[in-house]
Amino acid sequence: MRAKRLAVAATVAALFTTGLVVATAPAQAATNICKAKNVTEAGGMDALVAAAKKEGKLALITTPRDWANYGAIFDAYEKAFGVKISVDNPDGSSQYEIDTMKTAPKAKQPDSIDIGPLVVAQLTPPGGKQLSSPYQVINWKDIPAAAKDSNGYWYGNYGGKLAIVYNTTLPSVPTKATDFTKPDFKGVVGITGDPTSSNQAFMSVLAASLGNGGQKNLADVTAGLSLFKTVKAAAPLVKVNSSNLVTGTAKVGFMWDFNALGVVPAAKEAGISLKFAYPTDYVLQAPPYINAINAKSPNCANARLWQEFVYSQNKGKTAADLTAADLKLPGSKLFALMQGGQNYFQQSGADPIMSAAMKKKNTLVPSLLDFEVPASAKVVGPPTISDVLAAREQIISSWSSL
Amino acid sequence: MIQKIERESAPSRGAFSLSKTFSILPYLPFIIIFSYFFLFPISRLVYVSFLSNDNTFTLSNFETAFKKPYNTGFINSIKIGIYSAGLTVFPGAVIAYFVETRGSSKLRRSLAAMNGVLANTGGVPLAFMFTAALGIQGFLTKALKSAGLDIYAHQFSLATLTGLLVVYLYFQLPLMIIIFSPAISALRREWVEAATNLGANQYQYWIRIGIPLLFPSFIASFLLLFASGFSAYATANALTVGNLPLTPLQIGGLLDGNVSAAQLHLGKALGVVMILISAIAVVPYLWIQRRTSRWSQK
Repeated sequence: MRAKRLAVAATVAALFTTGLVVATAPAQAATNICKAKNVTEAGGMDALVAAAKKEGKLALITTPRDWANYGAIFDAYEKAFGVKISVDNPDGSSQYEIDTMKTAPKAKQPDSIDIGPLVVAQLTPPGGKQLSSPYQVINWKDIPAAAKDSNGYWYGNYGGKLAIVYNTTLPSVPTKATDFTKPDFKGVVGITGDPTSSNQAFMSVLAASLGNGGQKNLADVTAGLSLFKTVKAAAPLVKVNSSNLVTGTAKVGFMWDFNALGVVPAAKEAGISLKFAYPTDYVLQAPPYINAINAKSPNCANARLWQEFVYSQNKGKTAADLTAADLKLPGSKLFALMQGGQNYFQQSGADPIMSAAMKKKNTLVPSLLDFEVPASAKVVGPPTISDVLAAREQIISSWSSL
Repeated sequence: MIQKIERESAPSRGAFSLSKTFSILPYLPFIIIFSYFFLFPISRLVYVSFLSNDNTFTLSNFETAFKKPYNTGFINSIKIGIYSAGLTVFPGAVIAYFVETRGSSKLRRSLAAMNGVLANTGGVPLAFMFTAALGIQGFLTKALKSAGLDIYAHQFSLATLTGLLVVYLYFQLPLMIIIFSPAISALRREWVEAATNLGANQYQYWIRIGIPLLFPSFIASFLLLFASGFSAYATANALTVGNLPLTPLQIGGLLDGNVSAAQLHLGKALGVVMILISAIAVVPYLWIQRRTSRWSQK
C-alpha cells in the first residue's frame, strides 16, 4: 500500500517536472516576440518567419473556411510557413471568442481573433485588464483611423456590404429593400437570423432602414424595423439560411456579399438557382470585422506573422502557385512573393480595410463576384460605433414584439 | 440503535467509523457526479446571476428579467410548455392504454423502440424535417394545397407559436406514451376481476379504481411534458428569427450572440428563473411519483 502510494507520488512528481520543462523552454526563447508590438521588435520579417516555422502551430477561432475566402488564406499560410492551423468552433459567435479568451485554459486559447464590431469594447474594459496585445502591422497607416485602436489593441480587417439574395424562380426580381413587401414575395421573405444576436441579421435591419427612408440617420433604424413589421404583417418572417434557401422555404433576404461565392454554388448543386444583387437605391457598407492578438496567445510568433499576412497587400502567389524553390527562400523574400491576405478578402467580394490605399498603389486584385454596385445606388456608411449602439437599443427593445 | 452501540463500545470507535466510511463508498461516484455536474453548476449560476458586470452584488439582472421582452419570453415558453403537454397527454394516454392492454408483445416492443427514437428526435434535423414537410414549399403543404387546403393562406408558419407547437407534438406524443406505459402495465388484472366479482361494471371500475390509480401518473406525465416543451431550444432556434420570444432562445442570444454585449449576467438570471419554473413543475411531480409508487406496491 505504502509502496504504491510512493510510486504514485513519484509519477506525479515526474509528470509535474516534465510539464515544467515543456512549459518553460519555448517561453524563454520567445520572450521578445510575445511582447513585440511590430515586426521590427520581433526581429524583422526573416526572424519572425523563422520563429513561426519553429512553433509550427497557429490557433484560430470561429473562422470557417467558407467565410470571406478564409480557406484559401489558410492554405497559403500553411504551405508557405509549414504551420498547422487549427480553428476552434468555426461557426461560433464573437461572444464565444471573447468568453474563450477570458475563461479557457492555456491550451485552448486562440492566437488571433476575428470579431464583430459590437463586441470590440469588451477587449479593452475601462479600468480592467486588456484581453488583447497591442500590435501594429507593417501597413498600419493604411488602416483608416476610425477602424483601429490607436495603440493597436484591435484593428478593422474587412467589411461587407449587404446584397439581396433571391431565388430566380420568383415571379419578379427584388431590386431594393422596399420590394420585400410586394405580394410576389409573400411568405418567402426573411432575415438571416435574430438581429438581437446575429451581426449579419443586425446589419440587415440597418440595410432595410436605408432603403425605407432612413438613409439620413444611421443611428435610427425605425424605418428598417417598420419595413420588417410590414413584411411580417403579411406573413411570418422566414430564416434566410443556406438550408432554407436550398429547400425554397426562404427566397428573398439580405446577406453579406462576401458569402455569395460560398452560398450560390452550394444551392446550385441542390438544383436551386440563387442570385445576389445590390439594392438599386442604397447599399449599406457595414462596419468592418476586427482582428486582434490574444494577450494569452500560445504561439506568439504565429500570432504576429498571421496579422502581417492577413494585412499584406501584395499581388502574388496563392497556395497552388508556390514552388518548392519558393519555400526555401528566406522569410522576408517568401512573404513578399505571396498574395496578401487583403487581396483574398478582395477576391471574395469583401472590402479589405486597406482597399483605398491599395487602389492608389495599384495592388488590388479583381473581385470574383459576378455582381457590382449599380450606378444608380449610393453606398452609405459605415455607421460609427455610436450609431450601431443606438440602433442596437432600438432593435433589442422592439424586435421581439415586432 | 446506532448511537447505543457507539456509546457502549467506545474503544472500537475507529473500526466503526471505518465501516461507516465504507458504507458511503458505493454512493461516492454518484455523489461526485451529482455535485460536479449539478450542485456546482447551479450554485455557480445562482451566484453569478446576482453579479453586475463589475462583479458587485446586484438585483438588477432579475429586475430586467421580468421586464419586456424577457417577460414575454417566459409567458411564451410557459404557453408552449402547457399547450404541447395539454395536447399530447390525452391521446398519448389512450394510445399507451390500448397498446399495453390489447397489443401483442411484438407490437409493444416495436412501438417502444420507435417511440424511443421519435421522442429523442430534436434540434436542427427535426426542424429540417418539418420544413421539408410543412414548410411553404413542403411536400405536405403542396399535397394539401392540391386538395384545396392552403394552410399558408391563413398566416400559418412553422416560425409561429402554432407552428412550433405542431413540431413539438412530434416528440411530445411518443414521450407521453413512453412515460405513461409503465403506469398502465401496473394496473393489475386482479383488480378488474375483484371489482367484477363485487358487482362493479366497466364504468364503475374506471371511475372508482382505474382513473384514481392512473391520475397521479397522468399529472406527473403532464408536468414532465411541460418541462420538456418549456425548455426545448435547438428546434425553435433553427426555425425562428427572434420574433417569437422564448426564454431558452433569449438566453442563447445573451450568452452567445454577436450583438448584445456583456449581458452574460442577465442570461444567467434568466437561467435561474427557468430553473425555478421547472422546479415548480417538477417538485409536485416528485411528490405525486412517491404517492403512486406507494400505492402500486401495496
